[in-house]
Amino acid sequence: MKKKKTQLPELPPKAKQHMGMKARNAISNTLIHILLIVITIIWLVPFVCIILQSFRCESSYMVGYVIPKEWGFDNYIALFDTDFPKWYLNTFITAVITALLQTVIVLCMSYTLSRFRFKGRKLLMRFMLILGMFPGMLTMIILYRVLKDIGMTEANAVPGLILVYIASSGMGYYVSKGFFDTIPKSLDEAARIDGATRLQILTKVILPLAKPIVIYTILTAFMAPWGDFVFARYVSMNVSSGMNVAVGLFSWLNKDMIDGRYTMFCAAGVLVALPVALLFIFLQKYYVEGVTGGAVKG
Amino acid sequence: MKKLLALFLALCMCLCVFAGCGAKKTDDPAGDDAGDAGETTLAGTYKIKVWVAENAVDLTTKQIKDFNDSNEDGIVIEATIEPVGEGDAATSMTTDIEAGADLYCFAQDQAARLIQSGALSKLGVAAAEKVSADNASGVVAAAKSGDDLYAYPLTADNGYFMYYDKSVVKEESIDSLEAIIADCEAAGKNFSYELEGSAWYTASFFFATGCHSDWTVDNDGAFTAVDDDFNSANGLIAAKGMQKLLASDCYNNSSAGADFAAAIPSAVVISGTWDYETVKGILGDNLGVTDLPSFNVDGKDYHLGSFNGCKLMGVKPQADAKKAAAIHKLAQYLTSEKAQMERFDTLSWGPANLKAQQAEKVQESPALVALLAQAPYSVPQGQIHGSWWDIGKAVATNIKAATDDAGLQAALDTYKTAIDGLFSLSEEVKNAYTVIGAVNGSNWDKDFEMVKGDDGKWTSKDAFELKAGDEFKVRQGLNWDVAYPADNFKVEADGTYYIVFDPAAETVELVAA
Amino acid sequence: MKKYSDLEYLKLPKFKRFLYTVLCFFVGIPGGILAFLKKIGAGIVGFFVGIKDEFVDIGTTFANGDWKTKISFFIMGFGSIARGQILRGLLFFLFEVAFIVYMIFAGGYWLSMLPSLGHRGPEVVYDPIYDAYVTKYFDNSFKILLYGVLTLFFIIALIYTWRLNIKQNKISEQILRSGKKLKSGKDDLRSLVDDQFHKTLLALPLTGIIVFTMMPIIFMILVAFTNYDGAHNGYSNNLFTWVGLDNFNSLLSWSKGDVSYAATFGEVLTWTLIWAFFATFTNYFLGMLVAMMINKKGIRIKKFWRTCLVFTIAVPQFISLLYVSKMFAQNGLINGFLKNMGLIEKALPFWTDPTWARITVIIINIWIGIPYLMLIATGILMNIPKDLYESAKVDGAGPVMQYTKITLPYMLFVTGPYLLTSFTSNMNNFNVIYLLTGGAPTSTLPSPGGNLGETDLLITWLFKLTTFEEAKYYMASVIGILVFVVVALISLVVYNLLPSTKNEEDFQ
Repeated sequence: MKKKKTQLPELPPKAKQHMGMKARNAISNTLIHILLIVITIIWLVPFVCIILQSFRCESSYMVGYVIPKEWGFDNYIALFDTDFPKWYLNTFITAVITALLQTVIVLCMSYTLSRFRFKGRKLLMRFMLILGMFPGMLTMIILYRVLKDIGMTEANAVPGLILVYIASSGMGYYVSKGFFDTIPKSLDEAARIDGATRLQILTKVILPLAKPIVIYTILTAFMAPWGDFVFARYVSMNVSSGMNVAVGLFSWLNKDMIDGRYTMFCAAGVLVALPVALLFIFLQKYYVEGVTGGAVKG
Repeated sequence: MKKLLALFLALCMCLCVFAGCGAKKTDDPAGDDAGDAGETTLAGTYKIKVWVAENAVDLTTKQIKDFNDSNEDGIVIEATIEPVGEGDAATSMTTDIEAGADLYCFAQDQAARLIQSGALSKLGVAAAEKVSADNASGVVAAAKSGDDLYAYPLTADNGYFMYYDKSVVKEESIDSLEAIIADCEAAGKNFSYELEGSAWYTASFFFATGCHSDWTVDNDGAFTAVDDDFNSANGLIAAKGMQKLLASDCYNNSSAGADFAAAIPSAVVISGTWDYETVKGILGDNLGVTDLPSFNVDGKDYHLGSFNGCKLMGVKPQADAKKAAAIHKLAQYLTSEKAQMERFDTLSWGPANLKAQQAEKVQESPALVALLAQAPYSVPQGQIHGSWWDIGKAVATNIKAATDDAGLQAALDTYKTAIDGLFSLSEEVKNAYTVIGAVNGSNWDKDFEMVKGDDGKWTSKDAFELKAGDEFKVRQGLNWDVAYPADNFKVEADGTYYIVFDPAAETVELVAA
Repeated sequence: MKKYSDLEYLKLPKFKRFLYTVLCFFVGIPGGILAFLKKIGAGIVGFFVGIKDEFVDIGTTFANGDWKTKISFFIMGFGSIARGQILRGLLFFLFEVAFIVYMIFAGGYWLSMLPSLGHRGPEVVYDPIYDAYVTKYFDNSFKILLYGVLTLFFIIALIYTWRLNIKQNKISEQILRSGKKLKSGKDDLRSLVDDQFHKTLLALPLTGIIVFTMMPIIFMILVAFTNYDGAHNGYSNNLFTWVGLDNFNSLLSWSKGDVSYAATFGEVLTWTLIWAFFATFTNYFLGMLVAMMINKKGIRIKKFWRTCLVFTIAVPQFISLLYVSKMFAQNGLINGFLKNMGLIEKALPFWTDPTWARITVIIINIWIGIPYLMLIATGILMNIPKDLYESAKVDGAGPVMQYTKITLPYMLFVTGPYLLTSFTSNMNNFNVIYLLTGGAPTSTLPSPGGNLGETDLLITWLFKLTTFEEAKYYMASVIGILVFVVVALISLVVYNLLPSTKNEEDFQ
């Protein structure tokens, strides 16, 4: 690009330009506001519909209108007569334990790969990259057999699921490694000169700086188990007490059951979405910091 | 890496040894309750797993209790009952039979697949006799593979008929597909018929014009042949009739009772007894239930046919004879006349038991009345190849896209080719020649590939190490109908040869490699 | 293009420097591919040379070693224990013992069955006493394959550990000869939290990955070479066995096959790539746009807009997508609404017409995908140095110009790896397709079973093959391998070109 600076024509009087700019800005801002309102409505309509359906009491099957004729909490109350509370608890336990342990694993992995230079490091990363390219879908049947042989299926599906989630979580180190890469290495070196061991550097220096990525990892790990309806279904193998919410609710969509359970499905959906959505919305700030720190480096 | 690696491997090792042992244990055929061989009493406590539909859980619990109280053998069943739909049960059973239920219910179309997977155990001689005598013959046929009976009849109401909205479909229209379509279009309402989603429904048009699709199955649940004429002239008539509905604006590819309450509501839904309560709730007094209508092609009426299916109860194969016998006793009880009547009373499931079918209240149930009205036009749903369900529904999609008779015929021919493809060899294989004989270490049990040359001669793909006295033939299509030479070709001298066959001259010769 | 030397480069103004880097990236693509191929070649040669060196080293260690070392060749860890490194030695020794015990009690059986995958299937016997049929189970092909592979793993691990044990002896001898002291067990443990800390950190994650990711994948690859399906489940009906490349042959039909699925595979692959392309880039650009709109000066309640959009991430997809799928049904809310408003006569074929269905899934995917991109873009946009815009403004660039010359290149440069991973993960986007359409409408192409639909991606097709009627696991595995090949080709080439992965240290 050539330098145009010197060739620029004379600027119009400053005041006038300012006004023109201001007016144009105001118009475009109004337009953007309108657009944002439209987008928001589109985004929220399905959720509003689900919530409205969950309060419908006059019938339990799917209907062609959105606003209930009779309002009430019947569907929510009815959920307690089913296995739903058990499924909810199962999922909650899975999510909490997974979130904690997975975070430890992912941090170990990403911190090591970001901070240490050891023999075979590049090879290791390549290797995991290649492993990640296989569709995980197929491995489910094998994982199921392995879990079955160590007695972690059916009624014991919860520990089994936690084990598999955690064990394979090391593969997802990319984002948080990217984040660690952005923390200057000079900090480590300074601490090293002060005589700190590697362990101390990690706990005293790096972790406090890595708060966004820690929260990001916890958040994503916590959210995942709520939506797993494929693998969890294998592992629970039709035993109701081993199901998570997704598998349990999915079984309600069966042809024989949907008509009697549709509004309850919506109510259950609201209850499932609630903790995840609230948590996500409150921790959004960290999520943004985490991904931008990390995704940049991929 | 050293210590670390060693540590982790040791860990793996423990896991594997543990797992390996576990594996061995489950392979052990000895059961926990194996009694003395000479003792024939079945008395004892048996822990079993049962899968039934969710709404039947309570009833089944009660029935098992009744069985424990009433049976004369002293059998006590401790059952864990899980709610599993009839469709999911088969999929889960085939995924992992070991973890599957000892006793489970399934729709009859899954029977062949379950037998083939080894997920069903044959009925004992006495049980088979009794079940065959007590239940409707169509249902018994559905539980059979070859001559063997593999399951107990649970219901006989797995067919479909027509639900309609009396305020939309006029009383005089209900016998004519065309009139119903006109009524629906006029009212701006839908006609729900799951033609593109399920071959179960698609077939009804073909049955209307007298087409058939009959499958032969051997004793192990494997399909050996099919007799199918969906691509005949009658099939073309059926396709034309189906196109009338497929082309209509009111056609909706679905079979859900709740369609009557959808945003664009349906005025007609083709579905079965299971939707009765839902539809009744939506339509109230406007509910109409009747047999399927007729369609008219070239001035002739064809009454829509249907499948007449059933649900079955099966027992998982057991390693222990005593336990197997006990579970079979329970299954027999759960499908007895008494149990089937209880199921009708609480769940409105239509019985398969002949005596139960004669009961007055059964004959009066509105859904079952419609089913009965449809019965003369229905076809017992025998054993059907699993792939047929996928191939069959694509027919409707193809018919929908067709624009003229040639297109319709092409759609049907595509279907027929796919069906035949399940059994027959491809044209390429049919026409190819192969070498077979006492050569290359084989003994008339393996075909060796040959390649066609530009001169029309076929040459063996690989060279053969032949010894004097070796014999072989060249045959076509892996079949002895065409095989040369008439007497086997006898090798005269040891050596490495290519085998060359000239189809024009019908000669076989050896060419040294 | 003019090449700048380092000095010239540093002299450039910031803005130009940045443009230059981006340009270099694109010009470097062909060279990158070439370099990558060379690297592979060099890697293969290096591997064989390495193996030769290993053997030579093992030989000389034995020849030159003292008696402790020589015994260590047979009793692992003996040398270490004899030289006072009890902890290390014990670990080696225990490993050997565990291995031998395992091979005797289980491993031997599995390994011996691996070539045939079992000889004896189940047998049904009539028991006249109880009038019942009993099934006796014998070999289990599935377990043989699983534990056979596991056993092979252990053998490889043993060889590797044995090699380490020998190396250890050699090093110890050298250290002792030079008059130094060997490390004690305590030192070993201490080093695990200090200079060997990375090993401690990686131990657990890697174990998990090997057992629960790598092993299943290897198993899956092997299944593609067997006839494992519903009719040969290896346990309760027929055993399965090795069939070589037959499955690949019948999918891709390079020689005589029964029915050709090559066209079907091509069709599904094409749609998968089209889907991945649109799903990635529509989200990318629209997400960026939304982020820019929200971030613009003068826009109020920024946090509110973001929060509303973020709902699609926060609510589990099996709830939201299933509901949306019903909304778009032929008789669903959307069609009902449009019809009641008098906008349409006939219901729109959202899920019933192939083209409509494909477009609809892409559009609904925008609903799911924009919020992610918005969040990522929000952060990145704020990181763009303000002076770039300042200098562009001074140069007279308008908003469009600023976008195409600064914002977009910067975003593309920085999110290159992210774009790649999101492309490949969209190729495998099971949830969106499975929950929205389940693959519908029905496809008329021949499929080896599994009810193929027009909107099916390779991954959903694969899933259907394993669950529907005939459960053709072998075919699913073949498709899985082909998915890998496609993804690997795309990724490896692009990955080697991306500037941000190459210069890992730049950011620190």
